[in-house]
Amino acid sequence: MSYGTEAAALDDDVLRVIGRWRRGRPLDDAAFDDLALRIFAHQLRYNAAYARYCGSLGVTLRALPATWAEIPPVPASAYKEATLATFDPARSALAFTTSGTTQDVGGRHYMETSALYDAALLAAFDRFVLADGLQLRYLNLVPNPHDRPESSLGYMMARVASARGDGETGWYVRGDDLFFDAFVNDVRAASARAVPVCIATTAFALVHVLDLCSRDDVRFALPPGSRIMETGGFKGRSRAVSRDELYAESARRFGLAREAIFAEYGMTELSSQYYDAVDSRNRATRVKASPPWLRPRVVGPDGKTLAPGTVGALAHVDLANRSSCVALLTEDLGLEVDGGIVLIGRERGAALRGCSLDAQELRAALHA
Amino acid sequence: MSLREIPAHAIVRAVADAAQRWSDADFPPRVRLLDGIAQRTGYSVPVVEHALDQLFFSMSEPALRATIEGELGSLAALDGFVRREGRPRSWARGLERVAIISSRTTIGVAVAPAVFALCAKARVLVKDREDGLIGAFFATLAEELDDFREAARAQSWDSNATAEDLRTFDAVVAFGRTQTLAEIRATVGPEMRFIAYGPRASAGYVAREQLCDEGSARAIAQGAARDLVLYDAEGCMSLHALFVESGGSVSPTEFGRLLAEQVERASIEFPLGERQPAAAASVANARNLAAFRSATGHGTVFADERATYALFLNPPFDEAPLFLPRSVGIHAVESPAGAAAYLRRHGIALEAFALHDKCRSDVVAMAVDSGAVRLAQFGELQRPPLSGDHGGRPRIADFIRWIDNDL
Repeated sequence: MSYGTEAAALDDDVLRVIGRWRRGRPLDDAAFDDLALRIFAHQLRYNAAYARYCGSLGVTLRALPATWAEIPPVPASAYKEATLATFDPARSALAFTTSGTTQDVGGRHYMETSALYDAALLAAFDRFVLADGLQLRYLNLVPNPHDRPESSLGYMMARVASARGDGETGWYVRGDDLFFDAFVNDVRAASARAVPVCIATTAFALVHVLDLCSRDDVRFALPPGSRIMETGGFKGRSRAVSRDELYAESARRFGLAREAIFAEYGMTELSSQYYDAVDSRNRATRVKASPPWLRPRVVGPDGKTLAPGTVGALAHVDLANRSSCVALLTEDLGLEVDGGIVLIGRERGAALRGCSLDAQELRAALHA
Repeated sequence: MSLREIPAHAIVRAVADAAQRWSDADFPPRVRLLDGIAQRTGYSVPVVEHALDQLFFSMSEPALRATIEGELGSLAALDGFVRREGRPRSWARGLERVAIISSRTTIGVAVAPAVFALCAKARVLVKDREDGLIGAFFATLAEELDDFREAARAQSWDSNATAEDLRTFDAVVAFGRTQTLAEIRATVGPEMRFIAYGPRASAGYVAREQLCDEGSARAIAQGAARDLVLYDAEGCMSLHALFVESGGSVSPTEFGRLLAEQVERASIEFPLGERQPAAAASVANARNLAAFRSATGHGTVFADERATYALFLNPPFDEAPLFLPRSVGIHAVESPAGAAAYLRRHGIALEAFALHDKCRSDVVAMAVDSGAVRLAQFGELQRPPLSGDHGGRPRIADFIRWIDNDL
């Protein structure tokens, strides 16, 4: 079978899984296993760098893993080291840049087709964010894809707004600038017309907005059905605030119930996203749920799956990553619970000490 | 009687006697603290025992005397005016009050400066938010010499409450993060002696002459492994970067393999303690990335399955040391210039450099130029002698003021 035929067949299979889930049909373990292993074999054939890595671990086309959980996850930082794609990146449909964390070098996640990414993101968004079917206005405190086409987050929100929005989408972040006045005006305009909004925001942009609201004594009463989707870390770009504190202050400032504020957990190296499970949004500990084509594994240093409830590194198998690496090992810590995972956060090394060495500080200084 | 009225030799003897009691692994206060220290640091009990042995065995009367006499000329200079060759009669009069602030350090870091400040007859307050080691040692001092009861005090601290108090001291010694040190410095007056020990790292250099055969290479690897494993590479004198010259009979790659063997051996003497998931994941993640690099033609990694240690051979030049537990980058270099370039590229503030005792003069020159304040043999990197300086500073001279008597 030629590369193109094989790739198209696999893409169709993944799209079929997504379509079925939309219609309420689950994906059983055997079907997930089968598709994951076929995608992995395809990647061993055509993704040279990933194949070499797997080969170094003794996993080859002649020695394939028995289950999806044995597929070697590529370290997320490897995207900064090599091209991880099954095809010539020159003809990629999408290319998203990861933030530089280890050497201030960003990696690129190339996707051969936008079909899988779009289908995966919309299906999960519909289920976890728009289960009530409301049409929302999207006010985005994330990069505008016109300014930063390499931002997966910007692309995602543009797709959502275009497919599910009310036609009046706002973007308020450009580079390091946050257009607070425009944001306030647009929120007030939507409130005046009783148009429910979805504020999609990074954690640090939300902190920044809350600080400015506090400075200017601005408060909102968002229309019923409004919600805030927070998409991740502080990355040293604002004061760090605990998520509890952030959500509580956001609820007060925007006039929302706490459960109307939830997190999306995604990575540039993945094509699919996790969301706070709806039934955990009013609990102290939120559980991240995923669509069935995205499965997490919590692993120990030896790469083996840890027992539920044990903290370890998060690995993901994302079938929508057909044209890159189906299995990814992240730098995030978490634990498996009923219904998904609990995200603990980014691993930051040991709680290092010294007679005067503060490794965390040295590391931060040297990597700055 | 205050400490001022006690002759220095009596103070030194009392300190040495207390330290000797603490050198006994069965000394009840030491036994009581052992688990607490292991719990706080995450080090295994053998590592904690080693640290306590090293700390207290070194604090002998001859070593204390030698250090003080080396810096001040004589012990008697602490008691009153003494003659000094070609100079006025002088008195090394101890400061009134010395504060020592330490937090999140390895084991017993505050003990040595506290002891020397006490030898200078200063009243010492140690503010430490860790375990009770310093307080327990002070209690033993008080048993040896009652005057220590008032002169040596230990308190836990929080940074907010501490800032105010510090202005009442004559000298402040602080171990900690740069930001913490800057904050403390901002609160103390311009006349106050502020002795800061900020974040530092250490490195090692193996010259090709020392790689002439496997036996010599293995001996160096044995020492380097000890420098890496002890205190999980968390100390300022732990091995954080290792440079190995190409061109010897044993290649850098082969040396990496020998080092991995020796790390595994050293881990028997100094077993891994309780490692936090974040630390374990950090090392595993670094190992996995290095394995990916290796598979794609860049460098090599030596590690075990559980990532209890990781040695990265030829990591990218632009990648700074990772400062992960029991992990180190091994950089193959052609000459000391390669090591100097790497250290310069990353602006690493160096504490110590591990070298072979018969290394070439250009290697020594590079180590000196790198800013290191101590050169040590492999295996001895984390055993600074009490009679040596501390972080490039004297042990006791910072705690006294010289009074010249021209009368």
